[in-house]
Amino acid sequence: MNKGNRGMYRKLAMQNIKNHHRTYVPYILTCICTTAMFYIMNFLNASKGVGKLPHGADVQMILVMGTWVIAIFSVIFLFYTNGFLMKKRKKEIGLYNILGMEKKHIARVLFWEICVVAAVSLVLGIFLGIVGSKLMFMILLKLIHMPVPLGFEVSVDVIGNTVLLFCIIYLMSYLNNLRQIHLAKPVDLLSGEHVGEREPKSNWLLALMGLLCLGGGYYIAISTESVLTALTYFFPAVILVMIGTYCLFTAISIVVLKLLRKNKKFYYKTRHFVSVSGLIYRMKQNAVGLANICILSTGVLLMISTTVSLYVGRESVLEGRYPREIQMQVEEQELSDLETISETLLQEYELKAEDELRFHFTNEIMLREEDGFVSQPEGGYTSEMTDKVVGVAYIPLDEYNLYSGREVTLKENQVLLFVNTKKEYNKDEIRIKDKTLQVKEELEEIFIDVKSYLPTTTTYYLVVDSLDTARKMVEGAKYGSPVCSFFMYNLEGDESRFIDFTDELMERMRDKYQDEVYWMVEGRSANRDTFQRIDGGFLFLGVFLGCLFLMGTTLIIYYKQVSEGYEDHYRFQIMRKVGMSKKEVKSSIRSQILMVFFLPLVMAMIHIAMAFPLISRLMALMYLTNVPLFAVCTVATAGVFAMVYGVIFLFTARTYDKIVNV
Amino acid sequence: MLLEVNNLKKIYTTRFGGNQVQALTNVTFDVEEGEYVAIMGESGSGKTTLLNILAALDKPTGGDVLLEGKSIVHLGEKEISAFRRKNLGFVFQDFNLLDTFSVKDNILLPLVLAGEEYTTMRGKLHPVAQQLGISDILEKFPYEISGGQKQRTAVARALITNPRLILADEPTGALDSKAASQLLKLFRQINEAGQTVLMVTHSTMAASHAKRVLFIKDGRVYHQIYRGQMENEEMYHMISDTLTLLATGGDHYE
Repeated sequence: MNKGNRGMYRKLAMQNIKNHHRTYVPYILTCICTTAMFYIMNFLNASKGVGKLPHGADVQMILVMGTWVIAIFSVIFLFYTNGFLMKKRKKEIGLYNILGMEKKHIARVLFWEICVVAAVSLVLGIFLGIVGSKLMFMILLKLIHMPVPLGFEVSVDVIGNTVLLFCIIYLMSYLNNLRQIHLAKPVDLLSGEHVGEREPKSNWLLALMGLLCLGGGYYIAISTESVLTALTYFFPAVILVMIGTYCLFTAISIVVLKLLRKNKKFYYKTRHFVSVSGLIYRMKQNAVGLANICILSTGVLLMISTTVSLYVGRESVLEGRYPREIQMQVEEQELSDLETISETLLQEYELKAEDELRFHFTNEIMLREEDGFVSQPEGGYTSEMTDKVVGVAYIPLDEYNLYSGREVTLKENQVLLFVNTKKEYNKDEIRIKDKTLQVKEELEEIFIDVKSYLPTTTTYYLVVDSLDTARKMVEGAKYGSPVCSFFMYNLEGDESRFIDFTDELMERMRDKYQDEVYWMVEGRSANRDTFQRIDGGFLFLGVFLGCLFLMGTTLIIYYKQVSEGYEDHYRFQIMRKVGMSKKEVKSSIRSQILMVFFLPLVMAMIHIAMAFPLISRLMALMYLTNVPLFAVCTVATAGVFAMVYGVIFLFTARTYDKIVNV
Repeated sequence: MLLEVNNLKKIYTTRFGGNQVQALTNVTFDVEEGEYVAIMGESGSGKTTLLNILAALDKPTGGDVLLEGKSIVHLGEKEISAFRRKNLGFVFQDFNLLDTFSVKDNILLPLVLAGEEYTTMRGKLHPVAQQLGISDILEKFPYEISGGQKQRTAVARALITNPRLILADEPTGALDSKAASQLLKLFRQINEAGQTVLMVTHSTMAASHAKRVLFIKDGRVYHQIYRGQMENEEMYHMISDTLTLLATGGDHYE
């Protein structure tokens, strides 16, 4: 091939991109954005600047996940988009073929096209990435409460990774295009789009399966009470709902629409007639795309709402996890030892202890059977036990009386009962192992929420007449703890010394007990930093990926609008000729499109609402027990998301109107 | 007089106001109730423009179109749709059936748009379907039936509203010769039953079935032929001769 010809292919490629600007410009923009986002994420997880920060390694661990997610998303999404572009262009390529271009020449034109796309998106994407990486770095530091250092970093390695990843993606796309041209006959290529499509069949089996999956997923989400069960069933529930969503859009929608069509009185009305039959076809073409939008949206909502609530609710998380500024704990030792150690140190640091709590506490992991509580059998936890596993904790009466300000008396076989799940026990007796105890009273609250020590399970707190009784109750238990002495207090004084105080306290405890007995010191301030890193890192990741997914959703919506536009143009004209006014046609098509595009959003919202109980239980695992806060964050996220979605819809609808109204 | 077309003019201006194309220079003719008129002309002669104006899909630059003495040129957008629905039936070259509807629903479409009750619709459907021989395929979809069947469906859709005038745009254009002659026979039957038909075509065969043929060239009505007592074959030759004359410069004909 001589030089002049080669120039021709390149020119032709440029010309093609220009002619298809309506579909190519968004594609190239998406390529640029994904490239930039990949660069930024990869830069942050590889950056020495981040690594050098205290806890920077933790944050980078979180960001590595993000890099993988973006890489996988880019491959799937750009590949899919390219496929869509090719489908639209089959006719044009058929025409080239008929006009005398061989397939290898067409391949050459396509090669130049993808080269142009690759060059433009890599150069601009990496440029945007480098500029954006600084900005994102600053945002990340702000979120994890770190000072922003000066300077500017460009990583050659990361540029290399980015170029490699995206070149592979473009190469794959190109090979796929070649495959399509190779397989196609010119006549088929030419006739491409306007072959009347077969009407979709009602698939009752799939519809039924979808309903069962959705129902099952929702049921798990709503009915699950214990956190352990929630953890076990979370992924099965997610998968069920995903399958259900695909079935909903592909099968259930068609079944419902066809039932509507069977109802003659309903169907043969101007408004319903056109919409119902149109929707049947639209659902067939768009079902998978819409299900994807729905799932992506659900993902975005979940990610953002959970990470935002963790971030916003950090103090409440810290308070849940660390009821006092300082908590000390030791096994089978005198409580007064803890006090002595604290007091000396408090004096040295010129701090005062407040809200002191001293108590003893012992517990055992048990199974709740029909007729009472039994020890967990040897061999440990198995998944069949999920629903039965509970904690049983014993607190001596004198300590209960002290902190509740009451004067209750108990006989040896009497107990006071408190259940941390707010579900009342409602029985007079409680049978534990071979002992039957009388429940003298069921308590509304207990002086300290020991939740922080046993956050995951339903726990039955039994106030027993004495520490000895408590000790006897757990004697010989394999999954029980000996009696622990607890001493907790808040600090009053110079806050900047809290962390040092905690560290020093730990040193003193180590000196005293070595490794001979189990002991622990925890400080709220000392742990705040770690929480900030992790929550900030997650928030950053959540919002970043949320934006990425949102972009994906936008592009799917845009392309759907454009392709629908071309088809509707044809339908629009026929209906006009048959006697529908411009306004009627427009409003009917508008309402169909609205339904098609807002259905995924509505479904995503329903998914979120249904998942709420389950997710809020999982959040308890992260010590976020503030359900109203989580609810507010979720609703706010959903609101913002719906607004963005609406704006995107309106924006893309304009392109659609232009196409329809040619 | 059912339809009067007076001094119709249509000038297209390109978008940036550069070139002007005169599609119709001055078209005048009448159609009486019960007539079967074919309008012939080469591509580019202004046939389609004329039909679009008659269908109120396009507005003329000058002149007037009267249906039963009422001008349709100055109707508002809303009235036009209702007008089209009540008075006109369309048959197109490429059928213009909606893929998303079954044959039955395609036929019922204009009635549904007019807001009729389902029971009334059903009453109207069966006679028409029987007349056109498509009773067996009512539940099928356009992609499942042949071209001839599609066109008969389109005719049924045009007829079901009982329109004052049927406008057909190259109705045989996409059909094989057998289906085409069946369709023309059908048009003839419909016309004999009293339906007024106005057909635009460049097929001599199709035009030879009409009772009167108008010839359009350069945006003007150049000539017309009445069938009178002629047989189809005779009519065919007459049209064919006229077309030859037109093509070789029929200026003297006027």
